[in-house]
Amino acid sequence: MLKFLRRLAGHVVRGLVMIWIVTTFTFVLVRLMPGDPVETQYETLLSKGMSPDQAKAQVAVTYGFVPHGSVWSQYGHYLWQLLHFDLGKSVRAQGVSVTTEVLSSAKWTIGLVLAGTLLSFLFGVVLGVIAAMRRNSHVGNGLSIVGSLLHGVPQYVMALILVTFLTVKFKLFSTGPVDGLLEPGLNGAYIASIVSHAVLPAVAFALSSFGGYLLSMKSSVVSVLGDDFILASELRGIRPSIIFRYVARNAILPLFTVLALSLGFMVGGAVFIENAFNYPGMGAMLIASIGQRDYSEMSGAFLLITMAVIIANICADMLYTVIDPRVRRGEGA
Amino acid sequence: MSTTVEVPVVKPVVPARRTKFLTNLWKVLRRKPSRMIGAFIVALFVVMGVIGPWLYPDNLPKSADLLAGPSLSHLLGTDFEGADVLAELVIGSRYVLTAAAVAALVTVVVGVAVGLYAGYRRGRPDSALMRITDFVLTIPGFPLLLVLTTVWKFDSALQMGLVLGLTGWGGLARSVRSQTLSLRERGFVEAARGLGLSTPHIVSRELLPNIAPYVAMNLLIGVTTFIYSQVGLFYLGVLPYNSTNWGVMIQLAVNNGVTQTGAGLSYLMAPLVAILLLTLGVVLLVDAMDEVFNPRLRED
Repeated sequence: MLKFLRRLAGHVVRGLVMIWIVTTFTFVLVRLMPGDPVETQYETLLSKGMSPDQAKAQVAVTYGFVPHGSVWSQYGHYLWQLLHFDLGKSVRAQGVSVTTEVLSSAKWTIGLVLAGTLLSFLFGVVLGVIAAMRRNSHVGNGLSIVGSLLHGVPQYVMALILVTFLTVKFKLFSTGPVDGLLEPGLNGAYIASIVSHAVLPAVAFALSSFGGYLLSMKSSVVSVLGDDFILASELRGIRPSIIFRYVARNAILPLFTVLALSLGFMVGGAVFIENAFNYPGMGAMLIASIGQRDYSEMSGAFLLITMAVIIANICADMLYTVIDPRVRRGEGA
Repeated sequence: MSTTVEVPVVKPVVPARRTKFLTNLWKVLRRKPSRMIGAFIVALFVVMGVIGPWLYPDNLPKSADLLAGPSLSHLLGTDFEGADVLAELVIGSRYVLTAAAVAALVTVVVGVAVGLYAGYRRGRPDSALMRITDFVLTIPGFPLLLVLTTVWKFDSALQMGLVLGLTGWGGLARSVRSQTLSLRERGFVEAARGLGLSTPHIVSRELLPNIAPYVAMNLLIGVTTFIYSQVGLFYLGVLPYNSTNWGVMIQLAVNNGVTQTGAGLSYLMAPLVAILLLTLGVVLLVDAMDEVFNPRLRED
């Protein structure tokens, strides 16, 4: 238990160092920006007739640091704000704090990613087992080829093909944000609208990522099938259904790590799908903030995406030590 | 986004002469028609990228027929300005393929150098290098590229390739390191050390030839991932463009309402299908490479 806690502490410290590096990176980036957005906003506010002090305060609220003063004092101020989960104010949506903006779009992305990932995980695992069991038949070969092809197809290709053929040619689904006129909540119309908008992005997501699960499940099952205990249980005449359970339990272990890792990456990785389906999530927000040069929102979104990956990494590693007692890795592995 | 390749079991191979390698490759390719198709597709794209753009004039002639479907004079139809889609596809392949090749080169050089050094020296340099590698692996690559577009315009394919390569070497470095760790304990490496051979000799003559196959397959798959991400960057429209490439084509097709109206479908589909074809070619070719380098898989 003590070992477990020490491991966890090490991970958390390393994660915090990474988050610090990423925040420093975005700080430097915003300062390096051609035309210095901080200075520009300050000048604009002055020309709008604000007093220098008011303008300074306004800029400080937007970016989390004051326009004038040494780089170090700006940097200190910025980090201090971040410690209070204050990412500054959005430039696009005037007066709204970036934290609120980021969290509200994160809600949509997490829904999409969870649905898509679970769907692809289920399909990938089941088909992967079939591909491994029948690996010398046409079914198995075919599944492997389809798996590696779909694994290779970029998400935007999948998304664009689905959009073009299913919403435009055959009008089966609708795209875009959920109808703003409907009352949000647990009423039928609102839920139906969400489903009709979210099904296709989730399917696109699942289609483009289940190949990876299929391939790893297949190779994992094949390696477990070669183990001695499977041969032993076959010789003892244990029913195939029970042997199948033995195989599945052992083979699925490495898949959980992949699952945890991909959940982290998918927060930022759904960019293409959100863009193609006009879905209001984190990726779409990152693109929009870059397109409109809203740097405070951009650094906020990037920070959250990176944090998701770091947290998922820690979870994956801890999960692995908990569910597989064989893994008791030493230092620095 | 990240493509993972299973680490094959490393077996010592005697450094083969180049001609032997080529005859081996040819033999393996001929065994299955699918591999020949794969090699053909990849070769076709390389030829297209190298000599294709010279076949067309700098300013493509524009026909009055906008967003037309495929016809005899325009095999893949026309775009929203009436230019030939096939010509754009061929011209656009050069930027995409050059950037991917540069990125793959950078990945291989950095990844192999870091992995070999860390795995062979072990100890403190190893843990320091692996911390850096973990960092590179953890930072979400595509969002990072998106953020970088605000300060970097990626005017040339070289720059694009450099940045793609520098953000993408983590996975290769880590697996080269783990292979080096297991190889350095093998008998033949220990024998070389016992004979008093120099470290450069051991690394270049004993270790490198055994890692090369894995690196080569990684390189091929890496090329496709790099193509996806740069085409993706242009597709999202976060980069200004001054030349045609596949990503720009997709973006302009979407912006001109092809996904809304369905007119000019071949304009949108041409770059998408080109990407799919190249992926197919690479997947088929990797299967052949696997067999050339891994004698255990050979059937004869």
